[in-house]
Amino acid sequence: MVDTKRLQEKAKEVLIRDDVRRLIGWKRGTYGFEAAPTVITDASQVDQLIFDATCVQNPASFISLEEKKPVPRGAEPDTRKIAVMVKGCDSRAIVQQLVEKAYGRDDVIVLGIPCRGVIDRRKAMKMFGDVTPGNVSLNGDKVAVEVGGEKKEVERGELLMDKCMRCRYPNPLVSDDLLGEEVEKWADDEFADVDEFEKMVPEEKWKYWEEQFSKCIRCYSCRNVCPMCYCVECVVTKMKPQWTRRSTDISENTAYHIQRAWHLAGRCIECNECQRVCPVDIPIMTLNRKLTRDVKDMFEYEPGVDAEAEPLLACYNPQDPEEYIM
Amino acid sequence: MSEEFEPNIVAFLCNWCSYAGADLAGTSRMHYLPNVKIIRVMCSGRVNPLFLLNALQQGADGVLISGCHPGDCHYLEGNYYARRRFMLMHKLLEHVGVDPGRVNMSWVSASEGAKFADVVKETVEKAKAAGPMDQFRRRQLNW
Repeated sequence: MVDTKRLQEKAKEVLIRDDVRRLIGWKRGTYGFEAAPTVITDASQVDQLIFDATCVQNPASFISLEEKKPVPRGAEPDTRKIAVMVKGCDSRAIVQQLVEKAYGRDDVIVLGIPCRGVIDRRKAMKMFGDVTPGNVSLNGDKVAVEVGGEKKEVERGELLMDKCMRCRYPNPLVSDDLLGEEVEKWADDEFADVDEFEKMVPEEKWKYWEEQFSKCIRCYSCRNVCPMCYCVECVVTKMKPQWTRRSTDISENTAYHIQRAWHLAGRCIECNECQRVCPVDIPIMTLNRKLTRDVKDMFEYEPGVDAEAEPLLACYNPQDPEEYIM
Repeated sequence: MSEEFEPNIVAFLCNWCSYAGADLAGTSRMHYLPNVKIIRVMCSGRVNPLFLLNALQQGADGVLISGCHPGDCHYLEGNYYARRRFMLMHKLLEHVGVDPGRVNMSWVSASEGAKFADVVKETVEKAKAAGPMDQFRRRQLNW
């Protein structure tokens, strides 16, 4: 794991530079099993920064969130860099944003953190109830959690996010500085959950999704939190032309979810943020993972791995599969 | 009285090949099924998958996207992009439980009037087999 001292020292070192505007990292959360993402601009604030298994949020989502105000006449635009702390999965978001030229490599300073998994709030709630833990640490195959002054050890698989149990990239794929020893990869992704879902017949699938989609309250949290959804104007909230209406009926909800998944085809880096923030527990990643699997199978493409790659849907191969075309 | 279900098909045809192919089918007085409602677009690469969702929401039972054969695109590569796009959309809709027969794609050149008639026939047959699209059709509000 990462030494908090080293992390804070490095953050300080970065923040006192003249060409750095802000740093995005994690601080201790006020409640429950999740840390809170934080943006700090001053080197005196670095002692709030932490990294442990509660740091689930993806800081790469915040890089391009700033409102782009017009620069006053005569003034120079602010071209200072943004420093960001990333885990392995978060770093893929940065790679994919670089692929899409959301910003240049010189505009960000990436502080990579090798990660051994983060805690799933829902699993933790089920296990410990509505509590705020003390120290949380990962030792080998166990997670040690301090709850109510008592130290408890749990198997990793019971407490960590599902994405962590099949993590292929625990080490950051892009970083200017690595804040810790690289960790060894412990799993591979076979897309067993997608295969399992595919066994259903269409009627069953629709029945399942009809139930899931009708829960949706269209808060757009999944879109807002997504590191790949950084368009200034989003097609789902656009009024002219209005592609999806705002009513929360099954028709519009289905259209919204298909649109959202579709816009992430060949772009989703599986940070699982959309599913984590969903207030009504829609299994959004099931749609995303289906597309990820198909993209991998059909086009041998994996998003967020190679910063030099072309975006999937902005390139083509004359030999692309076309078995369903008449 | 039971009438056979006649599906509504929305066809997005590219201006340079498929639309001309449909025109040829017409001028050669070939019979093709009247279920198809044609929308002319400049290229199959112009068709946004949102068009397809919107068509299904607003009363289409099947959608056909047709463009030039690979390599023959008027804009050189538009149909290659469309092919990738709709391949993925096809898979996604299948995953959500929409009958895969509702989304069809074909390559029809300007000289293939007969093929166009066949493609329309096949599309209508698939949509008939899938039945009326009632999964996520937009509710009509009368106010």
